[in-house]
This record gives sequence, structure tokens and C-alpha cells, in this order.
Amino acid sequence: MATTPRIIVVGGGLAGLSSVIKIAEAGGKVDLFSIVPVKRSHSVCAQGGINAAKNLKGEGDDVLKHFDDTVYGGDFLANQTPIKNMTAMGPAIIDLLDRMGVPFNRTPEGLLDFRRFGGTLYHRTAFAGATTGQQLLYALDEQVRRHESEGKVTKYEGWEFLSAVLDDNGVCRGISAMDLRSMEVRTFPADAIILCTGGIGAIFGKSTNSVVCTGSAQAALYQQGAYYANGEFIQVHPTAIPGEDKLRLMSESARGEGGRVWVPRDKNDKRVAKSIPEGERWYFLEEWYPKYGNLVPRDVATRAIHKIVYEHGMGIDGQPMVYLDLTHIDRATLNRKLEGILEIYEKFVGDDPRDVPMKIFPGMHYTMGGLWVDFNQMTNIPGVFAAGEADYSIHGANRLGANSLLSCIYGGFVAGPNAMNYAKALPAQAGDGGHSAEFSRQTQLNQQLLSSTGSENPFKLWRELGDTMTRHATIIRYNAGLAEADAKIVELQSRYKNLNLSDKSQWANTSFAFARQLANMLELSRVVVQGAACRDESRGAHYKPDFPERNDAQFLKTTKVSYVDHAPRIEWEDVDISHIQPRPRNYAATA
Amino acid sequence: MATATLPTPTTTAAAQRTGTRTIKVEIKRQATPDAAARTEKFEIPYRPGMNITSVLGEIAAEPITADGRETTAIAYDANCLEEICGSCAMLINGKARMACSALVDKLREGDEPITLAPLSKFPVVRDLAVDRSVLFQNLKAVKAWVPIDGSYELGPAPRQFPQIQEQRYPLSNCISCTICMEVCPQFNDSTNFVGAATIAQVKLFNMDPSGAVLKEERLRALAGDGGVQECGMAQNCVAACPKQLPLIEAISDVSRDVVFQQVKDLFAR
Amino acid sequence: MAAAAPVAPPDLASSRGVKPLRAGQGHSFLWRRLHSLSGIVPIGAFLIEHIVSNFEALNGPLAYAQQVKFLNGLPLVRVLEWAFIFIPLLFHAGYGLFITFRGRANVNVYPWASNWMYLTQRVTGIIALAYIIQHVWRQRFSGVSLPEHPGAAFHKVQVELSNPWMLAIYVIAMIATCWHFAYGIWLFSVKWGITPGDRARKRFGYVCAAVGTGLCALGLAGMWAFVSPKYANAPADVMPEQPAGVVLPAPSVAPPNSTNPSQPGRVAPE
Ligand SMILES: Cc1cc2nc3c(=O)[nH]c(=O)nc-3n(C[C@H](O)[C@H](O)[C@H](O)COP(=O)(O)OP(=O)(O)OC[C@H]3O[C@@H](n4cnc5c(N)ncnc54)[C@H](O)[C@@H]3O)c2cc1C
Ligand code: HEM
Ligand code: HEM
Ligand code: SF4
Ligand code: F3S
Ligand code: FES
Repeated sequence: MATTPRIIVVGGGLAGLSSVIKIAEAGGKVDLFSIVPVKRSHSVCAQGGINAAKNLKGEGDDVLKHFDDTVYGGDFLANQTPIKNMTAMGPAIIDLLDRMGVPFNRTPEGLLDFRRFGGTLYHRTAFAGATTGQQLLYALDEQVRRHESEGKVTKYEGWEFLSAVLDDNGVCRGISAMDLRSMEVRTFPADAIILCTGGIGAIFGKSTNSVVCTGSAQAALYQQGAYYANGEFIQVHPTAIPGEDKLRLMSESARGEGGRVWVPRDKNDKRVAKSIPEGERWYFLEEWYPKYGNLVPRDVATRAIHKIVYEHGMGIDGQPMVYLDLTHIDRATLNRKLEGILEIYEKFVGDDPRDVPMKIFPGMHYTMGGLWVDFNQMTNIPGVFAAGEADYSIHGANRLGANSLLSCIYGGFVAGPNAMNYAKALPAQAGDGGHSAEFSRQTQLNQQLLSSTGSENPFKLWRELGDTMTRHATIIRYNAGLAEADAKIVELQSRYKNLNLSDKSQWANTSFAFARQLANMLELSRVVVQGAACRDESRGAHYKPDFPERNDAQFLKTTKVSYVDHAPRIEWEDVDISHIQPRPRNYAATA
Repeated sequence: MATATLPTPTTTAAAQRTGTRTIKVEIKRQATPDAAARTEKFEIPYRPGMNITSVLGEIAAEPITADGRETTAIAYDANCLEEICGSCAMLINGKARMACSALVDKLREGDEPITLAPLSKFPVVRDLAVDRSVLFQNLKAVKAWVPIDGSYELGPAPRQFPQIQEQRYPLSNCISCTICMEVCPQFNDSTNFVGAATIAQVKLFNMDPSGAVLKEERLRALAGDGGVQECGMAQNCVAACPKQLPLIEAISDVSRDVVFQQVKDLFAR
Repeated sequence: MAAAAPVAPPDLASSRGVKPLRAGQGHSFLWRRLHSLSGIVPIGAFLIEHIVSNFEALNGPLAYAQQVKFLNGLPLVRVLEWAFIFIPLLFHAGYGLFITFRGRANVNVYPWASNWMYLTQRVTGIIALAYIIQHVWRQRFSGVSLPEHPGAAFHKVQVELSNPWMLAIYVIAMIATCWHFAYGIWLFSVKWGITPGDRARKRFGYVCAAVGTGLCALGLAGMWAFVSPKYANAPADVMPEQPAGVVLPAPSVAPPNSTNPSQPGRVAPE
């Protein structure tokens, strides 16, 4: 149809920007929507690095080993073909990023340096200091700015995606979006759209994610008919620093260098940590796992800490926190080996971890599940593509460290050209393509919200949601707890109807925008909870003590959830295991 | 909160209202870009380890002023909450800082209120949110990118010694928070100075083996009105930069390169 | 195909606030560099020369007179004076005021040393300007014309400095100017990228401080000559008009009844 396809990309993280680059290069016109200026997207938070089997260390690494590690790491739940393609593209992606000027660390010879990460035996992770995600995002952001200055890209920063515009045949013809300053709703035409809106950390209240990672966009599409897949799979990081507003990552190297995890034996002990004598401290990891002690694998540590807090009720000061103690190690050693990460703690907590034991707790960290997509990154809604943390492909039941940045760029690189191809073959729309209908649906929703005169505060409802989700749907899951959580969400949904917006103004109204997102978050939370409830097995990050084993016969399947009658409906889909046969996943044997 | 029940991640503000300690906050507010500014006072239950973004979150959950009037949640920018996205710069006790890394315990002396205000050099959108897009326009003006041929496979980049990487990396850490611009006496609407951040980015891209192809264009751009010459070496930028960029180094080096470029152009063009 | 045409995002920043860089446009770079350069040469060079000349006063009224005479005897002196002193100074001062008024000093909020130096550079510039205006008017363009009567120089200045207010003004101006110049050298070196590296800049800072202090000491010492009791009540003119055709040099041996053995030349009042 149109000579120049017009594509809308929603989200300016790594995935969004990489798809924009591909489309602009292929001669398409892109409208790029993002809530925050794209340079401030959540991708800046990634620290560790990005995987690619470049084999620059003479270890005999290759892309098939990377492929195998990823499949195995994901506990065989991910479709294997996209993983194979991604790992094969890995080395070229690193070269490209290098050419874009990413200040990757170097060897003395001027080549890229690589480090080792969890879940592999090879030095496969390229890194730029301790801010790899930031550096990668900036490199892509700069390329997009170049295309923008050449008129190929128009940025709509400070606009929030509300929904897709679907025509009578259910084909996507654009989006509706809201300007977060003027609160004006508009629809924008497009031949295809790519959703790259990141993770869903915010439905767990506090997480290591950024503020805008609410999953609201994915949830909106889900309510419009898109499948949401593997929602129950989220990754929890064992050592996060609980803050008043978010959880910040504390690198595992703190335990690696000898950090000891403990709580006071008496749960009502109010003394400062250092004055509690050795005998009155409970080093529960060392007691429960004498062999590995504090260095048990991630998931084991995570579950143990969770158990101490939520089952034994022994968190410090009744809060979900335990001590991670480095104070027995001398200052000089700490400064030499851990200075960077100790400074982070000092900056955000205000205590010097060389003197005072750190307080840590596992934190919601990564969303493996997401919008269902085919191998071309297209959802089941024609014309709607998805990429990055927002889609479900690649990581299966568990994500390997440093694989996410790669999957985001890969996803964007696949989605962009495919969206172009799709757009070129798209027949012209009949009538207005559903624009006016979607426009009035959205304005009506806004009107409803603005005229609601109840007593509930959206931020408080959100806190309750986060509390429920964290307690029942993160690390250890029981069917009873999940049922309780689902009931709680339904309760919150009914209380939501009784919302009181203290702010009804039509200019930069943050509580209004948040209230809209909250409705979507509640829907998505049910997807997570019900998916977890149905999956009666333990696989990857999903752990049910009542079903401690992986059950391939019944659950080597993708959970596909659709929105039917205002509730999640679950279906199962076979997993593509065309390359590697599933085998038991057991890191302890090799650890 | 009963200790018998399971602990919650966040104790609600209401439960804490009974507590004794509170934090006083005075916030400069402005409903629209053209509205008059006013100050609202809040008293918030204190919890250890609070930062300014959590104080603002607390107000959103309970938008009631210190004298009991209902008000609206404060508008402000924040995303990462770990001082890496550059969103949350504002004036805290009069000084430009990142709100997410500003700890309440380190800000207060006794019962003094904490004051919050929007950055003063940028147009206010609402309350503490300002429009900082001028920085992104400046980055466009100096072509702060490496003009690669395309994103298709073209093999590895030219080799780069670690020494070069070590110089480029700190410059690439700039989070576009605009604090260096806010604190600079030369950055204002009569000089229209670009500010230190953009100058540092010029150095970063001029140092890249491939990015250097645009070096001359960047240097010429920076000699335009509002360019590097407007710096008066007040050095507030380097003192205030939350990411400790070597800004004076960058300004000095780029200044020299611009002079050379101008002299060269004088004779060669 | 479109139901709603795409709109451009509203742009608050383009209507208010600081404008983006005018890449490659305008001439402010050139003017700014000229300003910077003019502070060193010729103005800075003149300042050094002037202070060294004034230091001659320590050798007494006659030596001072000879110095003044020597300078005024330079070929094309009037041209030199305008080309290398007045015009650059006018430009530097004028543009300096322009720079000053476009800055928004904020030491009240950010009381850091370098920020104080930024403010001080402006304040000392303004002090220097105010001082130089009155100084050049009173010493150069009013009263006895020194280019024509170099011998009257010592007395003229002495009369000026006998007023304690004037003396205070001179002391303050001397300190301010030297400060301005010394920090100006440092600024110059940074802005032209002559001192690469933080350590080089720091070290050069000490050098500048030493130069400034030395210059200031020299200048204040020169002033001391005019107020010290040693040359109190110097003659109004130590080199009265010579008959046409008579050319100095002045006698190199002290005349018989000289009151000052170290001072060659006539001292007795007429
Ligand atoms: C602390 C931390 C450390 C990490 N470290 C690593 C690491 O070392 N290696 C690794 O591989 N991975 C790491 N990850 C994971 C990785 O950072 C993310 O998975 C990845 O950045 C996600 O990128 P994205 O492009 O999918 O989305 P994001 O970067 O999250 O971007 C989402 C975009 O969508 C926009 N958006 C969202 N909703 C809407 C809407 N409704 N309308 C318009 N726009 C919207 C946002 O503005 C934003 O631009 C880490 C994650 C965290 C939290
Ligand atoms: C020790 C203190 C000073 C003394 C005694 C002094 C004395 C004099 C005298 C006597 C003249 C007149 C010379 C002539 O007409 O030929 C003069 C001129 C001048 N002085 Fe000073 N001066 C002093 C400090 C300064 C300072 C600090 C400045 C600042 C830069 C300054 C700037 C000038 C200028 C610009 C002229 C005019 C130059 C000219 O006509 O050649 N003086 N000074
Ligand atoms: C007469 C009034 C004067 C005014 C109003 C003035 C003003 C200024 C100002 C505002 C600056 C700072 C420029 C900047 O930081 O960008 C400056 C710099 C400087 N001034 Fe002056 N000045 C005056 C006189 C002098 C004199 C008498 C000298 C020499 C002795 C001098 C030497 C310098 C030098 C060397 C610099 C540094 C140049 C630079 O910034 O690169 N100035 N002046
Ligand atoms: S240079 Fe520093 S202060 Fe300036 S924008 Fe960058 S990070 Fe912020
Ligand atoms: S504060 Fe401003 S004046 Fe220069 S040294 Fe920094 S940019
Ligand atoms: S919220 Fe990202 S820097 Fe503060």
C-alpha cells in the first residue's frame, strides 16, 4: 500500500531503539513513543554486561554452546529456534555496538574484554565498566537521534501508549496515546506497531525495575485480545537493598568475597546489629547448607531468605530484611575488592557497610513472561509486534545473567524488518480503521476516571497490590496463597471502582496517569497469579514446595493467557524443542 | 502494626501517623507553566532510610498538607530511582541534586524543614517537573553520535587501546541530568550557553576512532553563539555533577581544539 | 488512511528557557577569544610594564621622571598608546562588562572556591575599570601633562597619594588588578587548553598566584616611594623645561650640594 510504511514503536529501551534503527535504515518512517525521554528508559539500569560467544579468550566458546546454556538456563521452557537465531546473531551485535562507540572494556591489545557470568563456564560477557546497559542504551539512542535529525524518526517523549487501534477485522491500524502534559488523547495511524515497553516489576510494588515498568501497555493489549505468555515466570534477585522507594541490586560478589547472611535468633531483638553477640545470631544459610554455606546458588539463597522472613517471621525489625555482613573482613580488603558496590550501598542507605552489616532482601528483578509472539516477533494481533522484556520469547523459565540485553537488541532487530515487510504487504484500511471508535473508548475511560468520586487512593491500592504479589507470587508459591492473592486482586479491582482522584486537573496529572496504569496492572497481576496457580510443578524461577519437581510430561508447555469475560483464560502450547532434548537442570552438581 | 502478622514491604503512612517523628517538607509548586508559584508544607511520618523520592511517594499516597488541607500529588520526574536515568534533578534545600540519591537523614539538621523546588533554569512543566529537552537539542546540534554506515554486519570495530577506553568511559557516564547546567552561572537565557554536558559529549565522540570523522563539524558547531567560549570556569559543574565527569578537562581540551579549528578555517576556507 | 494526522509534540522549551546552541553561527567565539587574548597582550603586558616603571619611583623622583620621559620618548608613542593600551583596554573593559552582566553569579547557593573566583574576576574587573577611568583622567588627561613634563610625574602622583582616601583607592585597585590579572592568566591557560590535565592546571594555579603576588608586591612597593618620608615634598618638576636644543642626559654624578647621594640630578627646588 503506502509507499513509505509508517511504523509506530512504543518504548525507547534497547528493544525499541534497535527496532527503530532497523526501520529507519530500511527507509520506513517511525513514530517513537515513550513515557520517559528514551535516554532515561529502564535499560540504563543494567550493570553487568551482554553475552555473545565471541570466543576471544581461546576457550573454544561458540554460539551453539551459548545456545545450549540459554536453553538449559531457561529450564527448556523457551522455544529453541529464536534462541538459536539470537545466539548466532550475538557476535555481530557486539561488533555493531562496538562500532557505534560503546566504551567496552578492552584488553591491552585493543580487543574487547569479556568476563564470566552465572550459568556458563566461558568468558562470554562483554561489559562497559559497571554500567553496560547505560552505555548500550546511549549508543542506540545516539543513532536514533541521528535518524531523528535526518527526519526519519519522530519522537513522542512524554506520551503514553493506551491501546492499539484495531479495524473491523482485528487488524492493527495505529495506536491511541495520551500526552502526559496536556492529558490529551489522540490516535495515531500506523501500518504496524512494535511494543517494547519492558518489564512488569511495578505490580510487585517495589522491585529492582524502574518506575515506568508497570506492564500497563502489555496489559492493555492483552485486554484487546493479545495472548500473554508465561506470566508466572519472573526472576527474583537474591540480594537487593530494600529501600523506601525501590529495591536496588547488591552484586553477588559481596557473598563471593565472604559476606555472611544472618538474622538475630530472637525476632524481637531490637539491638543494633554489631552489638548482638555471635551466639545470638542465626547464620541460617551456613546451618541449612553446611557444604556451600553462604555461597549456595541464587535460587536456593533466595528461597532460604524468603522462608526466614515470611515463614519464620524473623526479618530484622519485623521488616522483610536480613543481614549481609562484611564487617568481619578488614577495610583494606573490602576497599580493594568491593569498593564500587559498597559505595552504592553507602549512597542509598547512608550506612558504611564496612562498619555496619548491610540489610538485604530478595527483590523482583526480571520478567521472563510477556506478550506471546511468533518467531517473527508478531503477536496474535495482526500488525502488533513485540520485543524486549515485554515479550515472552528467549528466556523460558529463567533468564541467564547478561542475556537480556542481547535478547532486547535481537528482538528489535527481528521485529523492525518484519514489521516493515508486514506493512508493505498490508492492504489499505477500510473506513477510518477503527480510529474514531478507539478514540471515543479512551476518552470515555478518562471521563469515567475523572468523574469517579470514591474514597480510594490509587497509590495506596498499588501498595496493597505489591504487598500481596510479593508475598504470594514471587519466590515460593503455594496454591492456597495464590488463591488468596487472586481474591485480593479482585477485591482491589472492585475498590478501584471507588477511586478518588484528588487531582482532576488536565495538566501533567501524574495521579491520573497512574490510576489508568493501575487498572491494567491489576489485570496483569491476575495473569501472573493464575498462571502460577495452574502450573503445578517447579521449573526455573517458579517454585512450589508442594510440587518440587519439574514435570515435563504435563508442563513442558507455554502458558498462554487470553482475556475472556474480564478474566484470564489459560491455554497451553507445546514448546519448540527441535534442537536440544530436555535434560534435568542441576547446577549444584557442577557448582 | 501487629508483629504477629507477616511483615509488609511498606508500612502505610496512616499506620505511621501515630508515630512521633515526622519530617517537615516545603515544596514549591506551580500548577502549569504559566501559573504563579506557591509553597505547600507537608509533615510526613519519618522512617529510617527515606530518600526524597520516597517522601514524594508518601505525599502521593496521602496528599494532605501539614495544616490538614487536601491537595494533589506532587508532579516530578523519576524513573530508575538509583541515580542512573538522570530524571529526578531538583533543588533540594536550594541546591541542585538528584532526588533519588538524596537521603533525608543527611539533609536535615534538627527540625528544619527540607525545601524542594524545581530546577531554576528550565521551564517548569508542573511542580518539580521541568522541561530539559534543550540538552537533547544541543546533543543534536553537535552531532553527538558515531555515523556508522549501517547496522548490518560489517565486522569488528577498529581496535582501541584500553587507555582510550579509560578516557572515554567516564565521559560516557553522563546521565543528562542537567545539573551541570543548572549550577553554571553562565548557563542562562541571555548567554544560551550549551553547558558542560554537551561539551563533554563532543570530547567523547571526537575521541572515538570512527566518531572522529565528524570532529571538525562538532568543533565548528561549538564555536557558534552559546558555544564553549561562554564558559567562565566557575567549575560548579564539576563539583555538582553526580557522575563526577571530568568536565573541566573536557572543556579545556575541547576549547583548544575549537581554537585550532577556527584558526585552520580562517586560513583554509 | 489516517483518521487523525500526526501532531508534533508540544515544545515548551522552544518558547521559553535557555535556547539551544546556534551551531556554528554568530561571532561571539571570536570576540570572546579576543577578549581573552587582550587581557594578556597587550593589557597584561602593559600592566607589568607599568608596575615595573612605577617601581622606579623607589629610586627617587628623578629616576621616575626619566622612566616617564623614556616611555614618552618611544617612537610613535601616541599611536602605541592608543593601539596597545587605550583601545584594547576599552574593548576588554566593555566586553568584560557585557560578559559580567550576562552571567548569573550564584555563590550564595554554591559557595565553592572556584565559583568565588568567578565572581571575584568580575568584581575585580569592575574595580579596575572604575579605578582606571579616574586614574587615567587625573594622571594622564588632566593637570600637568606628563608627556610634556615628565619631571612633574613624581610630584603629581605624590599629591594624589597624599590624600588618604586616594591612597586607599590605589591600594585596593592595585590588589584587585593584580588579582584579576593573575587569575586571568590561569583562565587564559585553561580556556586555550595550554595546561592539559588537572595536575598541570593546579600547578599552574600556584605559578599564577606567585606571579600575582609578586606583581602586587612590586606595585605596592612602587607606591610606597610616593608616600614614604624619604621623598616627602618632592619638587613639582624635577626636569623643568630645557631650552630648545638642549638634550638630556641628566648628569650622572650627583651635583655638589645634593641632599641625596644616591640621587643623581638636581633636587633643589627652583
Ligand atoms: C538492576 C538491573 C540490572 C540488570 N542488569 C542486566 C545485565 O547486566 N545484563 C542483562 O542482559 N540484563 C540486565 N537487566 C535486564 C535488562 O536491563 C532489561 O531486561 C532490559 O533493559 C529491558 O529493555 P527493554 O528495551 O525491553 O525495555 P525498557 O528499557 O524497560 O524500556 C521500556 C520503554 O518503554 C516505555 N514505555 C513503557 N510503557 C509505556 C507506555 N505505556 N507508553 C509508552 N511508552 C512506554 C518506557 O518509557 C521505556 O522507554 C537488568 C535489569 C535490572 C533491573
Ligand atoms: C602604583 C600605582 C600607580 C601609579 C603610581 C601610576 C601612575 C601613573 C601615571 C603617573 C600615569 C601617567 C603616565 C603618562 O601620562 O605618561 C599613569 C597612567 C596610566 N595608568 Fe597608572 N599608575 C599606577 C597604577 C595603575 C594601575 C593598577 C593601572 C591598571 C591597569 C594603571 C593604569 C594606567 C593607565 C591605563 C594609564 C594611561 C597609560 C598611558 O597613557 O600610557 N595604573 N599611571
Ligand atoms: C577594565 C575593566 C575590566 C573588566 C570589566 C574586565 C573584565 C573581565 C572579565 C569579566 C573577565 C572574565 C572573562 C571570562 O571569564 O570569560 C576578564 C578576564 C580577563 N581579564 Fe579583565 N577586565 C578588566 C580589566 C582587565 C585588566 C586591566 C587586565 C590586565 C591586567 C585584565 C586581564 C584579564 C585577563 C588576562 C583575563 C582572562 C581572559 C580569559 O578569561 O580568558 N582585565 N576580564
Ligand atoms: S555532565 Fe554530570 S551534571 Fe552534567 S548532565 Fe552529565 S551527569 Fe549531569
Ligand atoms: S560551571 Fe559553567 S562556567 Fe564553565 S566551568 Fe562549569 S561550565
Ligand atoms: S530517578 Fe533516575 S536518577 Fe533519580
